[in-house]
Amino acid sequence: MDKLERMTKGKIPGAETGIEVRKSICTICDPTTQCGLDCYVKEGRIVKVEGTLENPQNAGTLCAKGAAQRQWVYHEDRLRTPLKRVGPRGSGQMVPISWTEALDIIAENLQTIKAESGPESVIFYCGYPKQPRPFLQRLAMLYGSPNYCTESSACATAAAMAWRLIYGQVGAPELAKAKCVFALGRNPFHANTTMSRHLMDARDRGVKFIVADPRVTPLASIAEIHLQLRPGTDGALALAMANVIISEGLHDREFVSEWTRGFDEFRTYASEFTLARAEEITGVPAEKIREAAVLYATSKPAAMMPSSSPVVHHVHGVQYERATLALVGLTGNFDVPGGNVPAPPSWLHVSGAGFVSREHEFEMPRPWSELPPRLGQTRFPVWTEMVNECQSMDIPRQIATGEPYPLRALVGFGMNYRLWPDSEGLLAAVKKLDFIVDVDLFATDTSRYADIVLPTCSSLERSELRCYPQKYAIYTTPVIEPLGESRSDTDIIFALAQKLGLDYQVFLDGASPPGAYHPNGAPDFTEAFEASLDWILEPSGMTIAELKKHPAGMAVPDPIPVTYKKYQKSGFSTPSGKMEFSSAILEKYADYPGIDSLPLYTEPPYSPVASPERFGDYPFVLNTGARLPMFIHSRTFRLPWTRSLRRDAAADLNPADAQSLGIAQGDRIELATPTGSIRVRANLTHMVRPGVVHMFHGYPEADVNTLLEGDYLDAISGFPGYKASLCAVRKVAPGSAAATEVKR
Amino acid sequence: MSHAFYLDLDRCTGCMACAVACMDQNDLELGAEPTAWRQVFTVESGTYPEARLRYVSLACMHCEDAPCLMACPTGAISREAGTRAVRVNAELCIGCHSCSIACPFGVPRFGKDGTMQKCDLCSIRLENGMEPACVRVCPTKALRQGDPNTLNQDVERKAAERLAGSS
Repeated sequence: MDKLERMTKGKIPGAETGIEVRKSICTICDPTTQCGLDCYVKEGRIVKVEGTLENPQNAGTLCAKGAAQRQWVYHEDRLRTPLKRVGPRGSGQMVPISWTEALDIIAENLQTIKAESGPESVIFYCGYPKQPRPFLQRLAMLYGSPNYCTESSACATAAAMAWRLIYGQVGAPELAKAKCVFALGRNPFHANTTMSRHLMDARDRGVKFIVADPRVTPLASIAEIHLQLRPGTDGALALAMANVIISEGLHDREFVSEWTRGFDEFRTYASEFTLARAEEITGVPAEKIREAAVLYATSKPAAMMPSSSPVVHHVHGVQYERATLALVGLTGNFDVPGGNVPAPPSWLHVSGAGFVSREHEFEMPRPWSELPPRLGQTRFPVWTEMVNECQSMDIPRQIATGEPYPLRALVGFGMNYRLWPDSEGLLAAVKKLDFIVDVDLFATDTSRYADIVLPTCSSLERSELRCYPQKYAIYTTPVIEPLGESRSDTDIIFALAQKLGLDYQVFLDGASPPGAYHPNGAPDFTEAFEASLDWILEPSGMTIAELKKHPAGMAVPDPIPVTYKKYQKSGFSTPSGKMEFSSAILEKYADYPGIDSLPLYTEPPYSPVASPERFGDYPFVLNTGARLPMFIHSRTFRLPWTRSLRRDAAADLNPADAQSLGIAQGDRIELATPTGSIRVRANLTHMVRPGVVHMFHGYPEADVNTLLEGDYLDAISGFPGYKASLCAVRKVAPGSAAATEVKR
Repeated sequence: MSHAFYLDLDRCTGCMACAVACMDQNDLELGAEPTAWRQVFTVESGTYPEARLRYVSLACMHCEDAPCLMACPTGAISREAGTRAVRVNAELCIGCHSCSIACPFGVPRFGKDGTMQKCDLCSIRLENGMEPACVRVCPTKALRQGDPNTLNQDVERKAAERLAGSS
């Protein structure tokens, strides 16, 4: 091989090889990470990706998912043209149609349904990615529907609600200054790898980690104390820790007496959770619970690192999370250096990026009071009071009952019906709608049910604005042309706004969005998109033009300085102006089952303790949805590279349990509940506790959410109880394929 | 200067980014068999409640006295002059698997054409001042590459800090 051939094969950028490095960001995992991406491009095609060194979030690194970017972008399942359904729903019989025809069909249907049944009969939904969200919400609101909802109906929002119920704000852990880190149900080494180097550095500095997690995660493996609790007992663990801290006089008396509401009631209630009782409930030795409580309370400062979801993925999850988060204020670690520090929201779920934006004004062009009642409004009143979107877990009920009004259409972006507990029940409900639009990168199980399918493109084929807590922001430009006829999500939203005749540009001195259509009818609203972002960014002092001069991103100019104990000036943004051990908001709804002003501990409805009869027939705690390093939900299942790292749908089972059931590594097993069963392989691992079976979610061939009931939901947040229910496990014939069976 | 991989076992978290970065760099086509050039293993020890998990990322060690190189009957395996990477020339490989028998780490893999393939240390990247793809991607910087004496001095410095109780 000559030198040039070796350089080309080795993908060395430069004039000789014709390989150019272009900057973008990865949005495969789309919570708050968004790693900077160097795309090696040759003749208009990406030949390799690498993390961007200059990006302070990932500093040149990536995770297993991001590194598989190329197979994601160029996958054969990518949608290339708009499609129209010609066979029955679910048959997958679709024919390509032009963009003009597709957009006109959608606009016509939405206008007709609006005229016949009112705009509220249309649901607008956004899964991943998150960039389209403010744009889609604005579209829904201007169209007149309050029924804008997202995948946040089951992710992160409930944890934020718990924070806000107590403190009025979310407090982010300040790792760099903490002496102790208390992590709960969190596995950043596999889920948020950009934190990995900082966590390892903290460990090397001598920071003590306490980890509460039913699983032996890599974080638990570096912890000083691992509290390996039974799933569904987080609240009892936290209350017992509070009891230790208070009874041993380790709480911050001054803060508690001056700045909190309901401490006496909380103390009285927590005193019921003695170490002996907590050991009995959680399965964690009493002495370990005490040690953890003392270490957390006496290591000043200590930062709590809760997860976005696992603790709130319980039927009483917000109460568990409240009991846990109360420890922050109790020990004087709220809004202090090295504790948990609130910061103003910046843009797209990132807080503390050093600037504020007009995102909220953009996404809410009119108040809720001008709109009809939202999905879930009666069933989830706390959610409705606190959250600026509707709770999508109520979709199956409202479609089935038509109360308070019938739902007729769904416009979904990046929607996966397997998100819902009793996923097949959700699908059965959605199938009854008159009109379904699905916008996605790939042909999916959900898109098979749509009447019109629109092809969107990946973050590498469009522009994206993102920001980071390191006071850094980036606006990307496409590194390659969109594949086929695909367009960005926001091009699609702007085009729909225009076709529907909505006054979408109201903030931009002109009612008509400036946009163009390609000869094939594909929308191009780059100009309108950038003008909107400029309007949204106005308070930040940044402009899209300036950001474009820095393709790898730039430091936020004059970032808002980090300050502490902000409550001393302005109080807490809770009804009482204080930290609320006892919540004034929840007090209003105390007559609802499952809601109480104190963070009461209640067993999950299906647990060895709460339902002993069911436990007799279904003797394993079913714990679902913990992150695997190579998958984020279902997003990278189809990529051969990531799939090679875990080929089969497999349930994690403790070797001791496996032995008693006669199950060996790789055997076919069945997980069953009264609602259905799935067949998967057994993965024997000490990562899970005896008595617990863990199953990753979203596998089309073995969808664990079919084992849950659709109303297995938290009354406060509407979040599903993914983390703790009951199931049976048995060995099945070796030849049996992965399968899902649903009983109805 | 010779180049070696170093893995800080205390920092490897089993995230498998290195395995995928290698696939992307080398355009690996993976079938049903485990033919990836870099493999990440989870090693479990103990039982509940004392179970412990550790992670190890492995690829070719580019041994100085490489057993595979000695065992190869056709001279398909050779040592590169500059980087001292152990490389395989598929055109000379006859697929006899002698290297597999000789390798103490189980590194050799055999693709669809039956010839041996493995990590080449990204030697062309090294020649151009870039790190191997697996090293660049590593989120904890557990995986490193460089002159073994320099790498070991870094390890030694950390050990010294531990002994002195400064961390």
